[in-house]
Amino acid sequence: MMLISARATDAVATSFENYLSDWLPRFGEAALVTAQLSLLGFVLALLLGALLTAALDSRHALLRLPTQAYVQFMRTVPLLALLLLIYFGLPPLGLSFSSFSAGALGLGLHGAAYVAVIARSALQSLHRGQREAALAAGLTPWSAFVHVLLPQAMRVMLPPLLNTYVALLKDSSLCALIACDELMLAARAMASEYFLPMQIFLLAGLFYFSVAFPLSLLSRWLERRLHTGRRSLGASA
Amino acid sequence: MDAVSLIERVMKLAPVLLGGVRVALLIALGAFVLAMLLGTALALLRTFSHSRSLQLAMAAYTEWHRNVPGIAHLFILYFGLPAIGIKLPAVAAAIIGLGLIGAASVGEILAAGLRSLPAGQREAALAVGLTPWQAIYLVLLPQAVRIVLPNFGNYACQLLKDTSIASAIAAPEIMFFARNLVTATFDTTLIYLLVIALYAALLLPVGLGFVWMGKRWGVAR
Repeated sequence: MMLISARATDAVATSFENYLSDWLPRFGEAALVTAQLSLLGFVLALLLGALLTAALDSRHALLRLPTQAYVQFMRTVPLLALLLLIYFGLPPLGLSFSSFSAGALGLGLHGAAYVAVIARSALQSLHRGQREAALAAGLTPWSAFVHVLLPQAMRVMLPPLLNTYVALLKDSSLCALIACDELMLAARAMASEYFLPMQIFLLAGLFYFSVAFPLSLLSRWLERRLHTGRRSLGASA
Repeated sequence: MDAVSLIERVMKLAPVLLGGVRVALLIALGAFVLAMLLGTALALLRTFSHSRSLQLAMAAYTEWHRNVPGIAHLFILYFGLPAIGIKLPAVAAAIIGLGLIGAASVGEILAAGLRSLPAGQREAALAVGLTPWQAIYLVLLPQAVRIVLPNFGNYACQLLKDTSIASAIAAPEIMFFARNLVTATFDTTLIYLLVIALYAALLLPVGLGFVWMGKRWGVAR
């Protein structure tokens, strides 16, 4: 066992030296696609999520119930099933997407439900008096929302939203299964080309890790900071 | 596309998809057990160990597994390990892969639960003469588990959905059969809609089960 693992690490080390200059440019290109895919999906999730948040607490049942159903539905669907449905299942109905747009759309539709839940609970965490005081001070409902409620809710929302982006970044790897040319698909192609799957998939993992880990740390740091901020505010009041 | 032909198509497709349920549940259950065992060990070490290098190793394990896509882990286990002489069947690779990822999540959840207990709980348990180990499994763990029960529920639901990515390493679960059916019948839209309904049907009892357990044993935070 010792011998095997020694030989294995040795082999890993040599192949890294030999091939890294071939692999890195291809990984870099694919990482760019992953970045575009996940960012586009995230922007879509934020925009749609904002609309959903507004509709979730609407007074009109016709708006509220479908939105609640949508959020519940998205939280039960495995993302892979959604991606395959969009990419392979919609063209027979006359709606075709490129694998990149299908991926971004799927990530966006899926992420929006999570964004909506986060945004709603952040808004609900604010004291009712905040809105009442803003209205009493003569702000319109809209400017009360923009200038008083949203900035406060933003503090609560920011860490979980960052986590949503990290989840979305990791989930974008599933777009490889609808032939989107991102990191994981590039890694698969290279793995069968160079016959060094261990090294290549570890390297692919490292690409995700190098972005996801700092963002996770940032989210945790923000959460601690914003949390203590809230407590000291309460103590001074 | 009348109703009768739709029912006929569903009757033809559904049994094939149901054939994947057993393996999906097997993967989910196996991974869940592995994640619970390893995750508990991880949480206990993170909470009670004073060794700096051990803490660092645990943190590294947790961060790697939480910040790398699941599919990358599965590819490493299924395609990568054979290169160094370890061949795993697809289902075993899926169980181990999802179990190792889950251990990181369970470890974090449970460690947070343990941290939220008052320090006096442990001190009192030791004072009445329990050994440190007895204090952990008779006093601390049961309380921590009750606190984090809802988080375990979320994790279990997520895990059940995540079994779908095992199709990427050709484990014969629901999604695997769905993709085979698509190439055989081209009834794409209906197949994936059925798949989505099937996952919802599987998730419902798990979700409700944890809600019930939460009402029965859980603690309001």
